[in-house]
Amino acid sequence: MGEIFQFRSSASLEELTGRKAYNLEELLDLIKGCTESSIFYHTFSAFLKMREAQVPYNTDFSIWVARMLNESALAEKLMAVDLSEYKTLESLRKRLVEIIESYREEKPDAFQKTADEPFYLYDIVRIVYLSDRFAYDLKSFRELLPKVSTYSVFFHFIESRLRTQLDSDDFSTWIEESLNIPRLAQRIRKIDVNVYTLEGVRARILELIDEHLKEAEHNQL
Amino acid sequence: MIIPTLSDYEEVVGSDIIGELTTLASHVGKRSIKMVSSTAVGGGVAEMLHRIVPFFNEMGVQAKWDVIKGGDEFFEITKAFHNALQGKEEHFQQDVFKTYLDYNEMNNKELDLDEDLIVIHDPQPAALIHWNQNRKNKWVWRCHIDLSHPNAQVWGFLKPYVKKYDAAIFSSALFSPELPIPQYRFYPAIDPLDDKNRELDASYIDSVLAKYGIPRDKPIVTQISRYDPWKDPVGVIQAFKMARKYVDCRLVLVGDKAADDPEAEKILEKVRAEAGDDPDIHILLFSPSIATEINAFQRASDIVLQKSLREGFALTVSEALWKGRPVIGGAVGGIPAQIIDGYTGLLVHSVDGAGMAIRSLLSNPDFAKELGENGHRRVKDEFLITRNLKQYLLLLLALDRPSEHTIFLN
Repeated sequence: MGEIFQFRSSASLEELTGRKAYNLEELLDLIKGCTESSIFYHTFSAFLKMREAQVPYNTDFSIWVARMLNESALAEKLMAVDLSEYKTLESLRKRLVEIIESYREEKPDAFQKTADEPFYLYDIVRIVYLSDRFAYDLKSFRELLPKVSTYSVFFHFIESRLRTQLDSDDFSTWIEESLNIPRLAQRIRKIDVNVYTLEGVRARILELIDEHLKEAEHNQL
Repeated sequence: MIIPTLSDYEEVVGSDIIGELTTLASHVGKRSIKMVSSTAVGGGVAEMLHRIVPFFNEMGVQAKWDVIKGGDEFFEITKAFHNALQGKEEHFQQDVFKTYLDYNEMNNKELDLDEDLIVIHDPQPAALIHWNQNRKNKWVWRCHIDLSHPNAQVWGFLKPYVKKYDAAIFSSALFSPELPIPQYRFYPAIDPLDDKNRELDASYIDSVLAKYGIPRDKPIVTQISRYDPWKDPVGVIQAFKMARKYVDCRLVLVGDKAADDPEAEKILEKVRAEAGDDPDIHILLFSPSIATEINAFQRASDIVLQKSLREGFALTVSEALWKGRPVIGGAVGGIPAQIIDGYTGLLVHSVDGAGMAIRSLLSNPDFAKELGENGHRRVKDEFLITRNLKQYLLLLLALDRPSEHTIFLN
């Protein structure tokens, strides 16, 4: 038997930096000069908001560029960054800067626009803590997953990739390494974080586990 | 009345959220917290503190709440400060600032401020920190009002005191001025189980409307807010009159008077003049309001308005959204945080916009219903008291380790 899985969760205090951007040049400066935790907040915090209301945009950067500057092409480029490909916040920051700088070459006029409502730069303090929920096997994991908070799903599926700098989330790592079910792990790992809500992620994982358990049961018969 | 316990909230927010609160509280351990505000009744701050302080204690975190004392002259000054800090142009004589400081000094002598975390709410007691500069505990200034366009004289006076705090809390990035201390964003919150928000019997709702002579013969549009120029009750009547040319409806203005609000009478006169003798406009003044009746008015409404011109946060928006009501809000202060335009409500920027929004929602009830349902979910995620409790617990933990962006608790 492998290691048990103890669910963790994270919670954030949103810190107001007092810094803001009214145009793309200022946004670029903010992105270049802000803390890594600010990049984290504005990219991944969208998962904790009602992201379906902002469809198709998925990060604070893309939402502001689309809604306040009406630069849809740039907003689309920003939203299409494959978040699961970036294992460090520095590499993600670099990619965002590249996209905005190349857009400046492509469409310099866009940099002349001024938004009525600025982009407010936030920072965060993240507090990570252990819960009292433990999974011993796939069945107990399946039972607990619907009960843990959205923040816990966020921590293990989104935040942990950056913490571990692995191309994998906590759930699939545990299922692969401790439960030795690589096929299921691979399917969970492939869930597209760019397009699902956190509840969507949770539902999809449950669906994949149910399929696996059903197949396993069928194979036993 | 039985005060609900945290476990009573499980049905509303889910056991996972309550479990997380309990876990965080266990990490907070024996740290203590004290809230200091200017009034025990009236307004969102007092309502929130009435509930949040017992919750802390139930979770094992020692919490107290003190209300500062002041005569009429003090509260008239702080009311004027409140308006000035939200942008009203007014010049103050030096003796006004002296009176403000005298009352703060008097309160400082009477208050025991030794808890691990002192949270000072709003400008009225903000100067207390002046007499506590050699403190060993942490002090945080919780500002509930919009400081985006403050009167320079009043903010110039207050800012040196605010700078002495360990941190400040604002309800939105929009309100936060430049300060050399850390600033956090805390959304204020509503209590889903208090008399103002809990479920009510339909018969009770009917009886409340009958009591105040409000017929149920046509759709009801309501604004529930203190009579205050920033809530634009006159603009609400104008918007209603515009909409009624197209959709038959009734307007109910419900307002109360906070203990520190001597200006309410003056505004009421303007409101009454704008309404004239229109039988479809009902102006109700509660002093103080009865929470279950406010609740009944919100639940009886087809549309709830909060057409403010300046706001701290406008908890009435979350109250109405929690009840699944479609809400039309002024796009100011904390209202856009609650209303995602076209998804959890409608944002407006003018009397004309408010008039159109009323017409639109009364003519499209399915859309109005969808806005209300989404709004309910948004409040559940962000604006319930359990969320606020969590933030204070996180603050208690974070202030101990000010240089860390990620804190691991084991």
